[in-house]
Amino acid sequence: MSDFYQTGIITTLHQLGKPSLERLEGDLYRFSRVRPIALVLPALYSEFEGPAMQGIIQELSKVKYLNEIVLTLDKASEQELKHVRELMAPIPTEVRIIHNNGKRITEVYETFLRNGLDVGQAGKGRSAWLAYGYVLALGRSDVIALHDCDIITYNRELLARLCYPVACPNLDYVFCKGYYSRVSNKMNGRVTRLLVTPLVRSIQQLVGQHDFLSFLDSFRYPLAGEFCMTTDLARVNRIPWDWGLEVGSLAEVHRNYSPRRVCQVDIAATYEHKHQALSPEDPGKGLMKMAVDICKSVFRTLASEGVVFSDGLFKSLLVTYLRQAEDTIMKYETDAMINGLDFDRHEEAKAVDTFTKAIAMAAEAFMENPMSTPLIPNWNRVTSAIPDIFDMLSTAVEEDGN
Amino acid sequence: MKDFLDLILEPLNELFTKFKEFVPNFLAMLVILCIGIFLAMIIKRFLVKFLAAINFDSWSDRMGFTKIMRKGDLWSKPSAILSAIVFWLLIIVTMMSSLNALQIPAIDNLVGEFFSYVPRILSAAIILIVGYLITGFVSRATLIAAANSGFHYARILAKATHTLLIVLILAMVMEQLHIAPSIVLAAFSIVFGGIVIALSIAFGVGGIDAARRMIEKESIPKHEEPEKDEIEHI
Amino acid sequence: MKTVTFRTEVREQLELIGQADIIVGIPSFNNARTIGHVVRAIQAGLAKYFPDQKAVVVNSDGGSSDGTMEVVHNTSIDDFNSILLHHRVEPISKIVFPYSGIPGKGSAFRNIFEIAVALGAKACVVVDSDLRSITPEWIELLVKPVLIGGYDYVSPLYHRHKFDGTITNSIVYPLTRALYGKRVRQPIGGDFGFSGSLAKFYLTKDVWESDVARFGIDIWMTTTAIANGFKVTQSFLGAKIHDAKDPGTDLSNMLYQVISATFALMETYAEVWMPVHGSESVPTFGFEYTVGLEQVNVSTERMLKVFKEGLGNLGEIWVDILGAGDYNEVERLCALSDSEFHFPIGLWARVVYDYALAFHKKKLPVEHLIKSITPLYIGKTASFILQAKDMGQIEAETEIEKLCMEFENGKDYLVTNWK
Repeated sequence: MSDFYQTGIITTLHQLGKPSLERLEGDLYRFSRVRPIALVLPALYSEFEGPAMQGIIQELSKVKYLNEIVLTLDKASEQELKHVRELMAPIPTEVRIIHNNGKRITEVYETFLRNGLDVGQAGKGRSAWLAYGYVLALGRSDVIALHDCDIITYNRELLARLCYPVACPNLDYVFCKGYYSRVSNKMNGRVTRLLVTPLVRSIQQLVGQHDFLSFLDSFRYPLAGEFCMTTDLARVNRIPWDWGLEVGSLAEVHRNYSPRRVCQVDIAATYEHKHQALSPEDPGKGLMKMAVDICKSVFRTLASEGVVFSDGLFKSLLVTYLRQAEDTIMKYETDAMINGLDFDRHEEAKAVDTFTKAIAMAAEAFMENPMSTPLIPNWNRVTSAIPDIFDMLSTAVEEDGN
Repeated sequence: MKDFLDLILEPLNELFTKFKEFVPNFLAMLVILCIGIFLAMIIKRFLVKFLAAINFDSWSDRMGFTKIMRKGDLWSKPSAILSAIVFWLLIIVTMMSSLNALQIPAIDNLVGEFFSYVPRILSAAIILIVGYLITGFVSRATLIAAANSGFHYARILAKATHTLLIVLILAMVMEQLHIAPSIVLAAFSIVFGGIVIALSIAFGVGGIDAARRMIEKESIPKHEEPEKDEIEHI
Repeated sequence: MKTVTFRTEVREQLELIGQADIIVGIPSFNNARTIGHVVRAIQAGLAKYFPDQKAVVVNSDGGSSDGTMEVVHNTSIDDFNSILLHHRVEPISKIVFPYSGIPGKGSAFRNIFEIAVALGAKACVVVDSDLRSITPEWIELLVKPVLIGGYDYVSPLYHRHKFDGTITNSIVYPLTRALYGKRVRQPIGGDFGFSGSLAKFYLTKDVWESDVARFGIDIWMTTTAIANGFKVTQSFLGAKIHDAKDPGTDLSNMLYQVISATFALMETYAEVWMPVHGSESVPTFGFEYTVGLEQVNVSTERMLKVFKEGLGNLGEIWVDILGAGDYNEVERLCALSDSEFHFPIGLWARVVYDYALAFHKKKLPVEHLIKSITPLYIGKTASFILQAKDMGQIEAETEIEKLCMEFENGKDYLVTNWK
């Protein structure tokens, strides 16, 4: 199965042997008395029509330790909201639905805008952020867990393992990120494998040892969308609303807490997203945008920590990255060979080309405007700007719900 | 000179009369085509609504049709696919009847043949669907029964049942469609007979001891029966 | 309501008897060996405890070939009225025998209800014809609560070996208890007492042509009585020992019959069980005493093998019914060695609920669905045997109590998912 090697400066919790879910859930049920857990689910209506959601609901209906579930529903009409509510009915935990296109929630967004709070464009980041706000507004939970709604191989063990380190009162973790192997008959997770890790290591090579870089490098799957945190952290963290969501959130965690209180946990033996039917947009475009956003997020964070980015540095970085990525491809090729996995070296090389371009574009954008920040303000700031926002938000959700 | 003119005008005249005869037919064809397409569209729309009302999609999920479609990389809803199939069948029928309206003998024959073939296609489709359902049912029954008696190769047994039945059904379908009937029959006999012989040889050679044990067990009165669980489940 | 048309001689007999207070029904099929004892015990019981009540013994036979009816005829003392009749046996039940070994048991019971109503009986009793441990006191214990206590339904309570009656212990009892909130320990015991009015009520139910009447008549009687608000009690009868089972009835058939009847009743009474929370005990008659029980031979090794093979073979079906999380748990169990094997009771409760939900949502053809639970049930049973190997009767009973609580606590899951 898994080895027990501890990588980097954060704690890694492996899946060793075949731990019993029954025991995990029993423990969590006890923990939840002391530290109530909320689950945040950012979802699009289209996901309720896909194959994954049915399985997720079936599994969640067996979970007893959750205190509340907050579902942020995007791109849904009133009719569809009703349908979603019916679909969620089997879940015994109280499910609150934030209807992102609802009349009152739209008004809440306008209120932010009026008060000079830029909460960015619609997306997973903004949905999740609003859901945190709602959990904070209710003030009934101490722990917030979040996972995507397009996991085909969803198993409630994932949720249990994700919540465990933060929910356990005897441990002092504030943030726990999930990881899993993205291997089917080939290696998935290209952006992590070929962009983030080589990029981080290249920058390390150029600017020397840096706390944030080693922090980022400690995560086995920094782009995983599953994590769990304390509500305190949710209150002070700012999160980006663009594709830099995962990296940006890690940056904020790093800034606010000691790595000793951060861990990552192996949450699934197999992990498969919803099969994306051929998307109408050029897939390269989506990937490109994602890569650019991630790179910008990394640069920005490092710059804010005192790293000086110059034209020359970026030029060297491109070359260093290319070398790093090529070396990485070779490593993965060998890894694939010994395990008998499919490996298309040409495709991988093409991806690296795309990513190189992305880095160049991100660098350019950064040089042009280093200050542009897609970070949504944290809830502490929001409440000081609009003191009644929590009341407004919870009323809006409740009224929209009726 | 007049003769010469006649010589030229005659064929033209004939062409014109023929054309005059042809025009109403052609118009009829166009009308049939338009009405047919229009009707097909209405029926399609109605069918989509109807299938949604009877929850056809979830039925299809349960019966495993959706899975087959997904395997074939079809990602639309089952009801949409079915309506599309019906739509195109109707379009083909419309085309055929509209061509018939042209009253050209060669096309008439073609159309006649097509319509005499339609019942076969329908019955083949029914055999295919019913056969598929029965196959699934029988192989699952085999699987469960074998697994419940603790048989290690239950899955393989069920798979084998499944494959054999599918072969049988495909042969029936091909036969129905009159696709190379003699070859289908011969191929089927050979394949099926071959499988049976292979099984018997395999069992005969590999399972002599097992067969002996079974026969001995049957013939010897049951004094050696292994101790049975005495636990009462009810 | 369709009525059974009795044959002429039965009708004549009924007219001759005119009226009766107590009806004792014995459905039978090839029980010549034991039925004599049963009839004697009944007659002794009636004579001893109810001398001043008019009683009729009804034997309804499913076409025995070993002279069961002659035995009944010869054993009957002249003082007693007895009616011997054949009940209709559906051709199908010749192939699939009901678990209790009597083909057409539903029809037999229907006959008995009809006679009870025709004779205006106050109390009725039905007992199995293959009982070896029946005593005259059983009649008292099954009749008295009805005649004197004003109860409508008396279910039996036995002392059985801790490994016996596992379908009852791990499925039917916990499930019925959690659903309807009454702790009736032996809902499919086979020996029941009930009032004339309940018999009349049973006859109004149109189930006689269905599978429920054919195979699941015991659970049907119990559930109908509880769900319709009849006063239910139980009587302690001592040990239940009966003739060796017909080896032809295989386990998955048995499970299919019992569970499908139970699940089908869940559909009928969904409105009744949905709002029920927790459970309450029902009053118990009789003096509880411990009885010596025979040693039971059982090989958990073979059972665990069936369970583990089941995972490999039926895994795809299970994952569909149980969902990924619980399927993984089952998978984990399969990796355990025989000595450390333990089927968690919470998991088992969810498995049963998941099957009930799959039945409700018609995920698979009923027979396939329920038969596919067999290896899981065998695994659960093996786990219980391993766990209770060194336990006494009381400790083993405590384990069953824990399981029941698990069913009750997990009921929310069933209710919220049932739509």
